[in-house]
Amino acid sequence: MTTLQQKTPVPAAEPKQGAIPPKLKARPSSMRRKEARFFWLFISPWIIGFVVFLLGPMLASVYLSFTDWDSFTDPNWVGVANYVRLLTEDEVFHKSLWNTFYFAFFSVPLGMAIALWLAALLNKKMRARKIFRTLVYLPHLVPIVAVALIFQMILAPDAGPLNRVLAVFGIDGPAWLFDSEWVKPAIILLSLWQAGGATVLLLAGMKGIPQEFYEAAEIDGASSVRQFWSITFPQLTPIIFFNLIMGIIGAFQVFAQVYILTQGGPDNASQMVVPLLFSEAFRNYHMGYASAISWLLFLIVMALTVVAFVTSRKWVFYETEVKN
Amino acid sequence: MAELKVYKSTAFTYAGLLIASSIFFAPLVFVVSIALSSDQTVSTGSFSLIPTEFRWDNFVRIFQTQQPVGNFVLNSVIISVLSAVGQVFSSALVGYAFARLRARGKNITFMIVLATMMIPAQITMIPQFILFKELGWINTFLPLIIPNFFGNAYNIFLIRQFVTRLPLEMDEAAMVDGLGYFGIFRRIVLPMMTPVLIAIAIFTLTWTWGDFMGPLIYLNEDTKMPLALGVQLLTSTSQELQTPPWNLVMVGTVFLSLPMIIIYYFGQKYMYEMNLSTGSAGVK
Repeated sequence: MTTLQQKTPVPAAEPKQGAIPPKLKARPSSMRRKEARFFWLFISPWIIGFVVFLLGPMLASVYLSFTDWDSFTDPNWVGVANYVRLLTEDEVFHKSLWNTFYFAFFSVPLGMAIALWLAALLNKKMRARKIFRTLVYLPHLVPIVAVALIFQMILAPDAGPLNRVLAVFGIDGPAWLFDSEWVKPAIILLSLWQAGGATVLLLAGMKGIPQEFYEAAEIDGASSVRQFWSITFPQLTPIIFFNLIMGIIGAFQVFAQVYILTQGGPDNASQMVVPLLFSEAFRNYHMGYASAISWLLFLIVMALTVVAFVTSRKWVFYETEVKN
Repeated sequence: MAELKVYKSTAFTYAGLLIASSIFFAPLVFVVSIALSSDQTVSTGSFSLIPTEFRWDNFVRIFQTQQPVGNFVLNSVIISVLSAVGQVFSSALVGYAFARLRARGKNITFMIVLATMMIPAQITMIPQFILFKELGWINTFLPLIIPNFFGNAYNIFLIRQFVTRLPLEMDEAAMVDGLGYFGIFRRIVLPMMTPVLIAIAIFTLTWTWGDFMGPLIYLNEDTKMPLALGVQLLTSTSQELQTPPWNLVMVGTVFLSLPMIIIYYFGQKYMYEMNLSTGSAGVK
């Protein structure tokens, strides 16, 4: 981020500076003022949107998080009581937090591992590659509401296809969404079905790895597994890192699946932070309390992102970076 | 010996891919198979992976249920198309200014634009709801459409990256010819932006089409719901524990998913180019 504070962040970002013809450079300052006026005029939609839909609501949200408010009567200032209750008393919130961590902890790394494995398979020269790639990518294009409904059907305890397949192998499948032990794995399964989305990106990244690396490894007699871990994986770490960050942020905001499939049940076993926030705000009209949840969520996601960035120095490989 | 090794590894690759892609694809085959099943097959649970009957009339019957599915589809189209139009125009204008016009405070403003990407929607959700409620916009499409007319940080970023890489000569020639900034934007830069604008239109269409939480917060009348919100009403049954009409629900998921697959098919070229040309590979 520090580089952004310099006047010219990236050479390509300010092409005008180098490209201005001499006669334009000597323009009178009234021209510059006119240009600046137009700049502010052109970006005015964003400024209005920023103030009305982001900055204003953010400040309101901070204030509301310190109040008790049902959205009909006047807000009642309660200080840090909402936060204290969330952190020390509210067991449903603790459970939803635990469930969200659980979901993120399994769905993000597993999803990435599957995407990487598929990309490694698809990167080889072979027939029907495009078909395989499409088949793996298709689920990613299905809107999450449709994914939820499809899995509601697939995971149905008795007639559902998954349990019927398991029965063929003599396994008595669980009741999935109705079983507090299995509801979280079921929701993770649903997110893994869309893991192929990252495969296309990883494939693009694999294309960019110089072929010479592999040729040299081949001469040295490195096995294909060894080549994967010593060449492919390190070269892909920037993309993997990016997907990790996006994955964490996405996992903590999981909503539609839980809302449609379980409403947090059975017995809050699948309750997660955003569905809880939603029901506190729009079902129970605890607007202040829900605002406090949203800020805790923000802090958690920020903390995890910072941790990911800090640890990334140890494992993310940037070709042009000089380490000391 | 070496050849044998190659054959073996190719066989493993094929086997792995075959298994993986069948697992990924099987749910979609089930969707089609069930969407084409009769009510009786569905209620007895005797459907199979490969369709055995082809009840195409399910695709008509879905419009005759108690749920206004025709309205759902129409609402989805209205909301997502207007949102895309809003995003394209507002982000184009703002992105162009960040790429081409000079002003004091531009860099710091751009940093604020980037920083807004980190604020999760949940933070602003409640105050925005209050705002739209005060405006009397609850149960209208306005809260879902209007914010799109004020640009979006990610789209602005994409356009700015794209425009900074466009040649400057035409702008300068137009400037010499006395065309103003708005003229340059509209006549010169906007036409050259087409690929990035198409990409942004696709991103916005897909996002709005699939959005569930926004409509859930703002719309409470069945006839006003978009498909993503309305389709789940099809699972509701008159009696508890009764099997939902899975064939019609699956037709609903086909309606919800197929447009996205078609848009992706025709638009992937633009999205792919965009990721490469703006150096933002990996961002959807």
